[in-house]
Amino acid sequence: MSRIIMRFTGVGGQGVLLAGEIFAAAKIKQGGYGVKTATYTSQVRGGPTVVDIQLSDEPVLYPYANDGEVDLMLSVAQISYDQFKKGVKEGGDIIIDPNLVTPSDEDKKRWRIYEIPVITIAKEEVGNVITQSVVALGAANTFTRALDDDLLVETMLSKVPPKVHEANKKAYELGKKYALEALEKGPLK
Amino acid sequence: MSKREVISSGNDLAARAAVDAGCKFFGGYPITPSSEVMHTISDLLPKIGGACMQMEDEIAGVCAAIGASMSGVRSMTATSGPGISLKAENIGLAFIAEVPLVIVNVMRGGPSTGLPTRVQQGDVLQAKNPTHGDVKSIVLCPGDLAECYTETVRAFNLADRFMQPVFVLLDETLGHMHAKAELPSLQEVEEGIKLRREFVGDPADYRPYDVPQDEPAILNPMFKGYRYHYTGLHHGPTGFPTEDAEICEKLIERLFKKVEAHEDEIESYEEYKLDDAEYLVVAYGSTALAAREAVNRLREEGVKIGMFRPITLFPSPDKKMKELQERFGNKVYMAELNMGQYVEAFERATGMHRDEFVTHFKANGRPISPAEMVAKIKEELL
Repeated sequence: MSRIIMRFTGVGGQGVLLAGEIFAAAKIKQGGYGVKTATYTSQVRGGPTVVDIQLSDEPVLYPYANDGEVDLMLSVAQISYDQFKKGVKEGGDIIIDPNLVTPSDEDKKRWRIYEIPVITIAKEEVGNVITQSVVALGAANTFTRALDDDLLVETMLSKVPPKVHEANKKAYELGKKYALEALEKGPLK
Repeated sequence: MSKREVISSGNDLAARAAVDAGCKFFGGYPITPSSEVMHTISDLLPKIGGACMQMEDEIAGVCAAIGASMSGVRSMTATSGPGISLKAENIGLAFIAEVPLVIVNVMRGGPSTGLPTRVQQGDVLQAKNPTHGDVKSIVLCPGDLAECYTETVRAFNLADRFMQPVFVLLDETLGHMHAKAELPSLQEVEEGIKLRREFVGDPADYRPYDVPQDEPAILNPMFKGYRYHYTGLHHGPTGFPTEDAEICEKLIERLFKKVEAHEDEIESYEEYKLDDAEYLVVAYGSTALAAREAVNRLREEGVKIGMFRPITLFPSPDKKMKELQERFGNKVYMAELNMGQYVEAFERATGMHRDEFVTHFKANGRPISPAEMVAKIKEELL
């Protein structure tokens, strides 16, 4: 791995920030550099939120993703998808929650877009909507193969309360499972 | 001494630095994007016998911090631009009464309420002249996470050395970015602590403001039998008000000279890849993060370019900037997240007008990316 740049986008209150922190911490633990930088609006809830995550073996100087350099974007809100998609490199991967984001036909030509219903998985299969950022974590790591699963899960568990460890482990596994299925199925045409 | 590796944010590191530097009191009022400074320090201070007080507003916050410092302990407040505006009057009190204080300003988009969650470097000139009247401000500006820690430590030592407020200018990017930082060992920090001077001798002979013209007042900690008087009015050797023309002139002159005569103790800057450079980038704070990457990208393409990064913004490194201007002429690119505030210092130091070199300003709450810098440099500088 030289450098992997990920971008998680949603709206304020969804909790997409945590996944970035976990990725950065796990990469640093493994050896190397991880930077998480979030941008959000002054709205408490509902404003577009973006988290840029850069994992690298070399020091990362500028903490934001340069436009056109993002390898993988994950989006769970249309407003954020529209605003931040231009950061994804030509032919890069985008994971969308199909219940919340509708890409244009043009987008489908420009990027490889995959559907994973992140929110529904968290809400219905894990039983706790807050675990969506961990579903996203599992999915994103499966796409990028950025880090060792065990290390990422261990780092994640160190950042959430013990009483929700089981739910979050399940969320991670489901994220991984759905990501493998999405990859198998291929991008939207 | 071994370094400490941490994963943290700039705000968190500023708070940790304060505690490691011996700060025992924080008075303030939370405001985005500085709130995490207070959040962290409110957790740390009570554990070491210190105190963190959330006051009713920013004005009361700085007053509490000044009061604590008057009593003799190291004290801090943190806020963002709008908070500095509110604190302005009492910051002046700390200047004239010579009360050491560290003020962290995590800059956001302004003016007024501006862009609360977004980055800007719009408070640079506010930090230079943070209150009415004549003051000689000391302004430190960290350029990465590690410096959010080390410059806050340095701010405490400078505040005690010069007995006045010292500003640490962070910005939203540095305050909130979360990554790895290498910090000096705690032992190194503790060994570097230089507390304010104390008068020892007969309390009857104690005249705190009766000091040489290039030195700060000597204000002993309270409750030790040394009596003096604090006022925002011009004052004489014991601290009591006076309108004596000669004394007033000497006081205001000394408030400047105590800093100006010792600028070499305060000056700090970084020269990055300047040895063989033909082009000069000037940047500071979080903008320097992008500038460093821009320099590296251009060097990969064979452009001999380097960066000058002031760390102490004020007093500004005028001699160094003049020397660089003489070397690089107008082959200068200067970037900042405002409408050209530090360019003013550069112009003054070099005698070169901003129209003669390349400037890159942005004040819409967004950072300037390395790609944008590279494009502008290629278009207008090379």
